[in-house]
Amino acid sequence: MKTKSNLERVLEAEQFAVTGELGPPQSADPEVIRRKAKILKGNVDAFNVTDGQTAVVRMASWAACLIGKEEGLDPIVQMTCRDRNRIALQMDVLGIAALGINNMLCLTGDHQKFGNHPMAKGVYDVDSIQLVKMVKDMRDEKKFQCGDEMAVEPRLFIGAAANPFADPFEFRVVRLAKKVAAGADFIQTQIIYNVDKFAEWMKMVRDRGLHERVKILAGVAPIKSVGVAQYMKTRVPGMDVPDSIIARLQGVPKEQVSKEGIQLCIDIINQVREIEGVAGIHLMAIEWEEAVPEIVESAGLLPRPKFTP
Amino acid sequence: MSLVDYTKFRLKPAEEIRGTFKQINRIFILSCAKCYKIFEEENEEEYTHLLDILGEDHKKIVGHAMIDFLCNNFLSEKRILNLDLSNCASVGVISCGLGVQFVAKLLEGKPVYTLADSVQQSGNSTTEIGYHGISLEEEKCAGCSQCYLNLTGGICPITNCAKGLLNGPCGGATDGKCEVNSSFDCAWVKIHERLKKRGEKFTLESVQIRDYSRPSLKLKSDLSLQNQTLRGEGFYGGLHPLEKKGKTADKKIESFPEPKIAVIFLSQHAGRRAEPSVRLGDKVKVGQKIGEADGFISSPIHSSISGKVISIEERIHPAFQRKDLAIIIENDGGNKFDPLIQPYKDFENLPKETLLEIIRERGIVGLGGAMFPTHVKLSPPKKIDTLIVNGCECEPYLNGDNRIMIQHPKEIFVGIRIIQGILGAERVFVAVEDNKLEAITTLNKFLDKSSSVEIVSLKTKYPQGAEKVLIKRILDREVPSKGLPLDVGVVVSNVGTVFAIYQAVVEGIPLFQRVITVSGENLARPGNYWVKIGTPFKDIIEYCFDKKGGGFLEEYELKMGGPIMGISQTSLDSSVIKGTTGFIVLRKPPVKVSEERDCIKCGRCVEVCPMQLYPLYYSLYGRKGEPGKAIKYNVEDCMECRCCESVCSSKISLLSFIKQEKEYACSSNKA
Amino acid sequence: MLVVQIKPEEEILPKISSKRLFIFECLGCQEIYFPAEDVEKFIDNLKEEIVGKASLDYLCNREFVKEYIERYSKQIKKAQILLVFSCGVGVQIVSSLLEDKIVYTCCDTLYLNGFQGLTVQEFNCDQCGECYLNYTGGICPIAQCPKHLLNGPCGGSQNGKCEVDPDIPCVWQQIVDRLAKLGRLDKLEELVTPRNWSVSLISEPPVKRFP
Repeated sequence: MKTKSNLERVLEAEQFAVTGELGPPQSADPEVIRRKAKILKGNVDAFNVTDGQTAVVRMASWAACLIGKEEGLDPIVQMTCRDRNRIALQMDVLGIAALGINNMLCLTGDHQKFGNHPMAKGVYDVDSIQLVKMVKDMRDEKKFQCGDEMAVEPRLFIGAAANPFADPFEFRVVRLAKKVAAGADFIQTQIIYNVDKFAEWMKMVRDRGLHERVKILAGVAPIKSVGVAQYMKTRVPGMDVPDSIIARLQGVPKEQVSKEGIQLCIDIINQVREIEGVAGIHLMAIEWEEAVPEIVESAGLLPRPKFTP
Repeated sequence: MSLVDYTKFRLKPAEEIRGTFKQINRIFILSCAKCYKIFEEENEEEYTHLLDILGEDHKKIVGHAMIDFLCNNFLSEKRILNLDLSNCASVGVISCGLGVQFVAKLLEGKPVYTLADSVQQSGNSTTEIGYHGISLEEEKCAGCSQCYLNLTGGICPITNCAKGLLNGPCGGATDGKCEVNSSFDCAWVKIHERLKKRGEKFTLESVQIRDYSRPSLKLKSDLSLQNQTLRGEGFYGGLHPLEKKGKTADKKIESFPEPKIAVIFLSQHAGRRAEPSVRLGDKVKVGQKIGEADGFISSPIHSSISGKVISIEERIHPAFQRKDLAIIIENDGGNKFDPLIQPYKDFENLPKETLLEIIRERGIVGLGGAMFPTHVKLSPPKKIDTLIVNGCECEPYLNGDNRIMIQHPKEIFVGIRIIQGILGAERVFVAVEDNKLEAITTLNKFLDKSSSVEIVSLKTKYPQGAEKVLIKRILDREVPSKGLPLDVGVVVSNVGTVFAIYQAVVEGIPLFQRVITVSGENLARPGNYWVKIGTPFKDIIEYCFDKKGGGFLEEYELKMGGPIMGISQTSLDSSVIKGTTGFIVLRKPPVKVSEERDCIKCGRCVEVCPMQLYPLYYSLYGRKGEPGKAIKYNVEDCMECRCCESVCSSKISLLSFIKQEKEYACSSNKA
Repeated sequence: MLVVQIKPEEEILPKISSKRLFIFECLGCQEIYFPAEDVEKFIDNLKEEIVGKASLDYLCNREFVKEYIERYSKQIKKAQILLVFSCGVGVQIVSSLLEDKIVYTCCDTLYLNGFQGLTVQEFNCDQCGECYLNYTGGICPIAQCPKHLLNGPCGGSQNGKCEVDPDIPCVWQQIVDRLAKLGRLDKLEELVTPRNWSVSLISEPPVKRFP
């Protein structure tokens, strides 16, 4: 075991892992986190807190993680390169590890243009792949990026993201391979609605044997309304929402759309489970955490494995 | 004067280059001759250094070429595609990133390696790139699109402060030096001192915070695209001077008052000067022949007024700016016409030879300014398939051709028929710039749609009206170096000349008057005028200008022709000749920059030269006193449009070097 | 090298209200981009007294500016404020030559892509000091990717376009296409280490090689 991460244990035990996403508030209110954490508890092995998702200012990921940890969950802190140079990134890595957080997801970050501070300066000193390598070297080599050594290393289970739906499609697996080579332990993918394309991508992943070197958690999410589906299809870069999905939601009476959205999510979970190399799911019920227990239960993913620390 | 060397690249570290060479076998090296540094000579410093680094591996190099301004896609493409690259497996480039990216795209499919790193002298900023201006000064600008200089005494904190602070210094400055790099002054200490000198205070009216979303990617790419389009529109190079045509564009052509004394020069055509065929005291009539020269390339001279020859003497010739023989005629006010002036009603049935003889006899020469005898031009030794009638009039201010097209479209089409008959040209294009909408509409209205004449509207750009440019633009034919339009089967004739041919043939009138535009600054009567050849400049000034009397030439610059290619006049005793397209009065610049500076290889002359030449070499060799060397840079192809000179950032009189070098080339050709 | 836009009136007018003005206007980069008409309009609309105006090209050339300042010294002396229409370099030159005068710029300067060489080109280069073009098939990701990514495209690349602005091509898509043509897709597998910003961004003071 590299770390004390619950997620790592689940994956090492070859259990089908479930992680969930927790959106932090645009305020200093800790109760939002506690409430959402209570919903997730017992339903997920670990939970992510986004780091300034879509470049909108929200509570810091590490702080929300700490509150969730107090509620008894295993947090995955998200860390983007948009707002921090390599100095800030490494300082945060040290601090996060010292606070007892065991997982970190390394991201480049959504461009500041999309958020509520488009005038901000983007940093992008390093990219997500370089960040993965930096954290791995800190953990395994006890070295900072500059080469200096440290006494106590941050023991973090290192994650990275992958988007099977962005272009150039052929390069997507190469990029995954680079993340693995850089030291990623687990991967959380973009939300999957186009299962066929995901399966195609997974085949390329298996052809390179990457599924044996990294744990891949397939990203899934319920859809609350037809409008949300259409928004994701047209406005969110890197999302692939097939027309058949929208048609399925349009095919039910309005008051049943959200229920259908949950069923759709369960169906997708069942489909991706069958794909060789998928080690778990990452459930992103954004601002709809209440849906998580039902989805996890209906998908037959309960109870979650327990390990004594 | 001390200038900064802004060379944009340096060779990569030796180990990295050796590493690259391990992967390759047969490589061709392209190196850029650099820019933004003082231009003293051609130098291959980097290439030599590369050979040193490589040792034995230099044998892998199968060829080398140095290219000026490699980033100039258009010109470099031609030069690179002319190289023999068949023998190499890859290409190595020594240039800034622009050159490398261009070569990689051009030779897509062949591995292209960069052997250099692009560097910049950014100032002290650790977060921003500082860009220099055209000149090689220390000051730099980050192009942040939210200039703070109004708050900071004209010293930029973005490029000069290591942290790019906008609200005053950090706590680190010691003895006025920056904490990050003590070889730099603290920008904020400088700002503080500057503000004190100005009697200003640093205003803390609002805390400054930067907007990094400016300039938006979209704006930048739009402007870049707009610029690229503008530069390449129609033909390579050229300028977009302010047109200034508005003052006279709508002014109908009026008859200019007859001169009391006419000064008629005997050189009004390319070729040998005419000899006077009248004597002192002779009475002459309007249109009477008063001078003629032997030889094929020549053209007779006619009197423009009726009166008495009062002198045959030397005056300052307006085109040559040296003394030349002129016949001085005193007007008797009778306006009596030479009886020989007779219309040829059945011109359609005249044989070609007769038409050419009429054109010769009536003294028709090219009215665009060159004054080449028209009958010679219309007797080409080669087959001509296309006639281009040039109504571009691309010089600012001028409107003479424009007005002729608006007021005499029918006559122009008759003139075209005459020329077409002589040349046997199958196709005719009338080329007009798109700033002359009225002319285009009028011509189209009177155009016989069944004829082989086509009116083409061209995007306005100087020097569109140059023959070679026009041929390339309309027919995509390239006149060979040192060649003539007839070499590609084309005759180009100015629209005014076509009208003069109409008048000569159909009305029988010799060329003793022409349309000129009088325009410029401080004019009371700008306009387009029918002016008698030989009308002294003094008359024009008196008629069109407010201020009379002496001192005119001290305060104003007088140009015969347009403001760009026109010839500056030194005497008001000169007079209108057949090649006078206009008469432009410009206030002399209050500051004449005293001397030219060193060439800094800014490359702008190359960027604007429509003949795709490298004018900077003409100044380099001219200054070194080695005019012969300019020949290899095709100096003879220069058509003296002055684009290079007018954009030169060091104010070098490129044209004077070019003229010298052309003369040298001409005489060495003869020898 | 730089192009300008006129600042918003409300930023300038309060600063110069009822002052005597002298105007410098730079026409040097007219062939590249200069909003000559906007400038003319701006000046025409000024209600303040204009004691003189110098139009010249290449305000970035200290020597030229010196001569102009000398020639116009009387008017400049009379003026309370000097207004400059030029890029940031020109403004700094004028300010440094007239240290005791208040010099205001009326322009914001922006830098156009691909403008290091002669004039605006299709390509761009940030002069970063450590060229990556050998990794990327000769297409620069530093200058052309809004996130300066060195290890491949982010998740927002779709249909060859950039997520930040769909009008702009994704440079990493172009790189992948180019390397595919070259048969060098293996290059993309290399892990590119973090960039050394110190090479590009701190330099020694400008070297004056031609005293």
